[in-house]
Amino acid sequence: MLSSFNAIVPMACVTAAGIAAMTAEAFREPGEEMPIGPLGVIGLVGAAVASGLLWNAKATSFDVVVADNFGLFVTWVLIIVGLLSLAISAPTVERERLPRGEYYALMLFAVAGMMLMATASDLLVIFLALEVLSLAVYVLTGIRRDLPAATEAAFKYFLLGAFSSAFFLYGIAFTYGVTGSTRLDRIGRVIAAQAMAPTPVQFLALGLLLVGFAFKVSAVPFHMWTPDAYQGAPPAVTGFMSTGVKAAAFAAFVRVFLAAFEPLRSDWAPVIWVVAAATMILGTVVGVAQSNIKRMLAYSSIAHGGYLLLALVSANDVAKGAVLFYLLTYAITNLGAFGIIAMLDNADRPNDRVSDYAGLWSDHPTLAALMTIFLLSLGGFPPMAGFIAKWYVFSAAMKAGYYWLAIVGVLTSVISVFFYLRIIVMMYMTASSEMPVRFPEVPRIAGAALVVSAILVFYLGILPARVLAWAAASISTIF
Amino acid sequence: MPTLNQYLVLSATLFAIGTAGVFIRRNLITILLSIEIMLNAVNLTFVAFGRALGAVDGQILVFFVITVAAAEAAVGLAIVIGLFRHSESLNPDSFASLKW
Repeated sequence: MLSSFNAIVPMACVTAAGIAAMTAEAFREPGEEMPIGPLGVIGLVGAAVASGLLWNAKATSFDVVVADNFGLFVTWVLIIVGLLSLAISAPTVERERLPRGEYYALMLFAVAGMMLMATASDLLVIFLALEVLSLAVYVLTGIRRDLPAATEAAFKYFLLGAFSSAFFLYGIAFTYGVTGSTRLDRIGRVIAAQAMAPTPVQFLALGLLLVGFAFKVSAVPFHMWTPDAYQGAPPAVTGFMSTGVKAAAFAAFVRVFLAAFEPLRSDWAPVIWVVAAATMILGTVVGVAQSNIKRMLAYSSIAHGGYLLLALVSANDVAKGAVLFYLLTYAITNLGAFGIIAMLDNADRPNDRVSDYAGLWSDHPTLAALMTIFLLSLGGFPPMAGFIAKWYVFSAAMKAGYYWLAIVGVLTSVISVFFYLRIIVMMYMTASSEMPVRFPEVPRIAGAALVVSAILVFYLGILPARVLAWAAASISTIF
Repeated sequence: MPTLNQYLVLSATLFAIGTAGVFIRRNLITILLSIEIMLNAVNLTFVAFGRALGAVDGQILVFFVITVAAAEAAVGLAIVIGLFRHSESLNPDSFASLKW
């Protein structure tokens, strides 16, 4: 039946655009200019339209891909991530003379893998989607082959990623052994039937799956790869992977733990409690000590993963909506911040130390103002989106009775304000001490993307009701 | 005829050998091989469970894992070649330009 393909139409659009980008590059005459970036935009817009048509339809493909509202919400977040990443990548690709077709094709394949991961309802398909997106992102991390640091970052990311996939896969194998299936709904039924007397093998499976997910969402103690990979990759790619990979991984994490393994919640909740607290504390405390802005934002992204884990462990209705809303605001805000870093990055100087931001306000007031908006939102200042997102996460934790965890969350986010403000103080109140860094012109497309992100940050911060209602409505579809 | 438990012990041993290899060996190629050992240990687990459950899915899952492992090896070796071009070394300790 043709209708059984419905649920995979969004990722098919993106994959088709990726293949078209690759083919265009292969048949390009040397020196010929081709609009490869816009090709990706067409694919992503097609995916957005397709997922709009699928809303509320609960289409399933081959029983392993479910386009429920939860998956579609995350798909939209991923489409926004894809569009913004394409826009902020344009100047980097241009300046560094990166292979255009390969860069955009890899980015589109990664987006397709992320969409599949967000909508998959079978552990094997989740694993395949994870590999599709990871393999593309490993290559993107090391795409500047002439830089030793970029290759080293790609290798560290690859090594720990492949290592953690093996653990994840071992967890799938034990889940299959215990339940006789890899489909999440069947696993859920078997686990619920045996919930009175869970066997040790079930805990083994659960633990191994948890290790695999913890690596992907860079939760402590499996976060070691994050700062290196984020620092070595080109800033546009860092923005892309810090938001897209996290959104896709959390979507699958929520599906596996809050749907299939929900009956064992009293057993896994304490573990995630500890992991969430450690992740928030370590991300914040180590972040304060960083002098490289990409590394600092890497630790900030670890801390934000901790807040998402806090929502996951609360697992009430408020928390489930809060996870989706947080993913959306975090994606827009973080991509905006990395977009600014990508604008300031130039061929002979990465400009990624905190001290490089001294005097940015006098050199380039617009970029400084936008950076201020994104950093304040990451720090959780009202009226930015980050404030509402954090407020919902913490109130969900309070409602679920996790007072201590909520207190840790509030305290760490207060400490984290310190390192966001440090950059702002640098930009406005410190004169550039060294010889003035020459900032390249900001291309129109990237500038427009940054302004749109800033507007969205304010929109989600001031009028969040509609998006929150969507988020709350979509989370109910997986249970 | 070996029992399910014997297969599981064998695969757990292989997985442990692979894990230890990743931490102990100081050669990038050997580390990649260790990850392959881990993936193949998982394959053995799938096949053993499939046989014990009397279902064929266990065997079919393995084909997907083999394909993924091949793709992973291709990307991994390409990155190792890139590293070797920069530093003429395969010792992971010699790559420390990114520090935490």
